[in-house]
Amino acid sequence: MNPLPIAWASLRRNRFTAILFIAIVALTVALGIAISAQERALRIGSARAADKFDLIVAAPGSHNDVLFSTVYLDPSAVPLLDPAMTRLLLEDGQADFVAPIGFGDAIGDAPVVGTTAAFVEHLSGGLAEGRVFAALDEAVVGALSPHAIGDTLEVSHGHGGATGTDADAAADAIAAGTAVPGGDGDHPTITIAGRMQPTGTPWDRAIVVPIEYNWSAHGLGTGHLPGDSHIGPPFDPDSLPGLPAVVVKPVDVAAAYGLRGAYRTPQSTAFFPAEVLVELYSLLGDATAIMSALTLAAQALVVAAILAGIVAILDLQRQQFAVLRALGASRSFIFATVWVYVAALIVTGAIVGLLLGWGFAALVSEALAQQTGVAMRAEIGMSEFRLVGALVALGLVLASLPALLIYRRPVVEGLR
Amino acid sequence: MPGLNLAAAGLRLAFAGEGIIDLPELTLVPGTLTALTGPSGSGKSTLLYLLSGLLQPDAGSIAWAGQDLAGMRESQRDRWRRQHAGFIFQNFHLIEELSPLDNVLVPLWFDHFSAAAARPRAIALLDQLEVPRRRAHVSLLSRGEQQRVAIARALITDPAVIFADEPTASLDAASGQTVIAVLRDLALEQGRTVLVATHDAALRQQAGTTVQLDHGRTRQSEAAA
Repeated sequence: MNPLPIAWASLRRNRFTAILFIAIVALTVALGIAISAQERALRIGSARAADKFDLIVAAPGSHNDVLFSTVYLDPSAVPLLDPAMTRLLLEDGQADFVAPIGFGDAIGDAPVVGTTAAFVEHLSGGLAEGRVFAALDEAVVGALSPHAIGDTLEVSHGHGGATGTDADAAADAIAAGTAVPGGDGDHPTITIAGRMQPTGTPWDRAIVVPIEYNWSAHGLGTGHLPGDSHIGPPFDPDSLPGLPAVVVKPVDVAAAYGLRGAYRTPQSTAFFPAEVLVELYSLLGDATAIMSALTLAAQALVVAAILAGIVAILDLQRQQFAVLRALGASRSFIFATVWVYVAALIVTGAIVGLLLGWGFAALVSEALAQQTGVAMRAEIGMSEFRLVGALVALGLVLASLPALLIYRRPVVEGLR
Repeated sequence: MPGLNLAAAGLRLAFAGEGIIDLPELTLVPGTLTALTGPSGSGKSTLLYLLSGLLQPDAGSIAWAGQDLAGMRESQRDRWRRQHAGFIFQNFHLIEELSPLDNVLVPLWFDHFSAAAARPRAIALLDQLEVPRRRAHVSLLSRGEQQRVAIARALITDPAVIFADEPTASLDAASGQTVIAVLRDLALEQGRTVLVATHDAALRQQAGTTVQLDHGRTRQSEAAA
């Protein structure tokens, strides 16, 4: 048997209703897909962004705050790490390099971050062009920064972006210890010396300066003995100021766990970004699970509502089905025709919804990436296919309800 | 295809209240156009549905060439119709979204995935009945042409028995005449068994046999000259 031509004719008869049904199914599916795909894009993007930040050591306090400040350059007031701990770290043989991180300045919307040349090389994996900074007033820009090599830029105090350079931000910076009252005013202009490779982190929009610039601009000295104008390690142990965070690259995995244990002290905390992210993801995952359950329930309701609509439409066509029976069609042929009709609506809606949801997630990912600097790509993976598969399977099973209803109609009643 | 003999006996069907069929005996022979007549509500259509296996009688037998429809299950009766019967309706009941050709091919899809093998026959039938084939939708045809598409659909499987329910009632006189001529030809020239429920005097005049029903009973059964 071949129920397709007659099912297709029935679809064409009520084409606007059919298109409406497909659109409703598609939008519902798209919602579920977008939530699922977007959540994964956010997870993968944020995890990749934190990849190069092997171990973070900071003052005891919120790991989240330190993580967001350091990796995602979303500064918040964090207590400063005791210079004594930094000193210990700098001398620790288990560390490949120890990179102080300093915030507090901006150029326009772009944050100016202080660190060492070694960390820039590590984060960027070799520069895209130019060279890394070699003097206090040189800088390296992120891959997405609009500034070109050779540009000379004025640095202003504050965090950039939405926080701007207003008094609130300045007060925050003072509270965070990244600035000292009245210490503002010594922000020499900087010259761009190089550009980093894309890192998929908010550092792609940042301007990275030597940590010494950050310190001296805030009246904290240079971390070196007076008269010593070189930048980067070795620092003078007694000239080190407090730091919001230090990124440590351990020599190996054993060293990583060793350092993490060793620097969990009353004066400091040490953590892998991944462990903090895992906690955040489990929170995010719980929220996603609830949303997914709600969207799945909404999808089931939509399918049920559409089935009710289909029964009403097919009821108007009961004469046609009766005529087919009179012409010799078996009950199973009628069942197949109605089933194909319903299945076509649901499967088409699900496929359109899959693409729509993907597109929607891609747009949201793009907007989020623009906003946060964390590179994100929405992809359709197994879990989205499972979601659509579950709905399609449900739809195909439920499609047999109208099929059974139509198939049970007495023929003669339909012919009158 | 030669027609089938019908020998129905002791047919009884009772609905809640009206429309009772009570028919002690009815025989139909191949090569005859039989008109089933009677006033509205006399049970013409009901008898047609009984004889085609769409309805089951409460009692009696409906033996087509020895095969008793009354003793068959629904699926067997469906198959009998598919193999032996063609149906023509007052309001054609074509699928408007399909082309004339596809409408004729509809019965093929009940059993086969592809109707391609029957296309030449469908085209021949439409040409024979002078239906313009090059229309995207059957709704673009005149009413007379639509009924002729329905006749082609009834004939596509080359059935031995043709059932027609008021086939001329919604046509103008000229179109009705064409349909009557076709039905007559199906019986007399092609030897099929043709049973037509009708109140059209023109059709009744052309019938070889007339069975008159009144409240489900045979009032008169006569063979015309």
